[in-house]
Amino acid sequence: MLAKELVAASTVPLVLSVLTQGESYGYELIQRVRELSGGRIEWTEGMLYPVLHWMEDEGLIKSEWREAETGRERKYYQLCKEGRKALHDEKQQWMSVHETLTKLWKTYPSST
Amino acid sequence: MENISQFDLNTALRLWLERLGQSPQIKVENLKELESHVRDSVVRLQTKGLSSEESFLIATHRVGSAAKLEPEFAKVNHSPWNMVIHGLILIFFSICCWFLWGILHFPQMMAYTREGRALPAFTQFVVGCGSYFALPPLLAAVYCAYVWMRRSLRGNSWTGFFATTMAILIFLTLLTMIAVFLPVIAFMNQLVAK
Repeated sequence: MLAKELVAASTVPLVLSVLTQGESYGYELIQRVRELSGGRIEWTEGMLYPVLHWMEDEGLIKSEWREAETGRERKYYQLCKEGRKALHDEKQQWMSVHETLTKLWKTYPSST
Repeated sequence: MENISQFDLNTALRLWLERLGQSPQIKVENLKELESHVRDSVVRLQTKGLSSEESFLIATHRVGSAAKLEPEFAKVNHSPWNMVIHGLILIFFSICCWFLWGILHFPQMMAYTREGRALPAFTQFVVGCGSYFALPPLLAAVYCAYVWMRRSLRGNSWTGFFATTMAILIFLTLLTMIAVFLPVIAFMNQLVAK
């Protein structure tokens, strides 16, 4: 299981990344991240919605209420142009952390 | 064995939403989205062989308690009061600046110069800068317009705006008081001498 702080910090890039594969809704986003992480990233599910609304206010994503195949209404989220830009920046930041740690752990295997 | 106490998902959901809805921080649209989420979750859990009651309990537990959700929703659902308070502070600040600008004309009104005496250098300087007193309210109005237009209000709490405007006001009041103080004393002396 990931530390709470890391889960919080990775929520926005995770949501943005999942949405690059197409529009989605809250429950599906959570399921997708759970599957991909092998259950290691566990969100308090309700907490995702304020983050989604904040991302929408910031213009990273946009939403639309639409009837789903179940006949019920669902709120679908889609990536915006600003979101793609934000994802690009996030990617660079996460990759630089990843690369640094990888180098360190290769050079000093005892630290792993 | 069959569950004798009939569990009704719709009733349970309605009660759960009512409890969440008691929080002023959680809006109707948020509740609608959470309901949709719980229904999706229940359907998924039922396909794994759980009863609707078990599914409902797990689904709502995973969403989180009202106590946990409330502060998170409060961050994004700012009440309109934040905007109203910004407006009130702007009005108060503008009136105060206008009042200070008026006070700056006091030395001239006192017929100080009619006696052929020049105003003290500092007073002359501040009176000369008088028209710049319109600048802080103008900047404050631009900031308020920015806050009102922006939908997300993170970091735009009225307390920061209040502190900044009050600091500027104290500074301008100090300048004005010093500028007016000398002529006023001299005017009083003249009155006493007469």
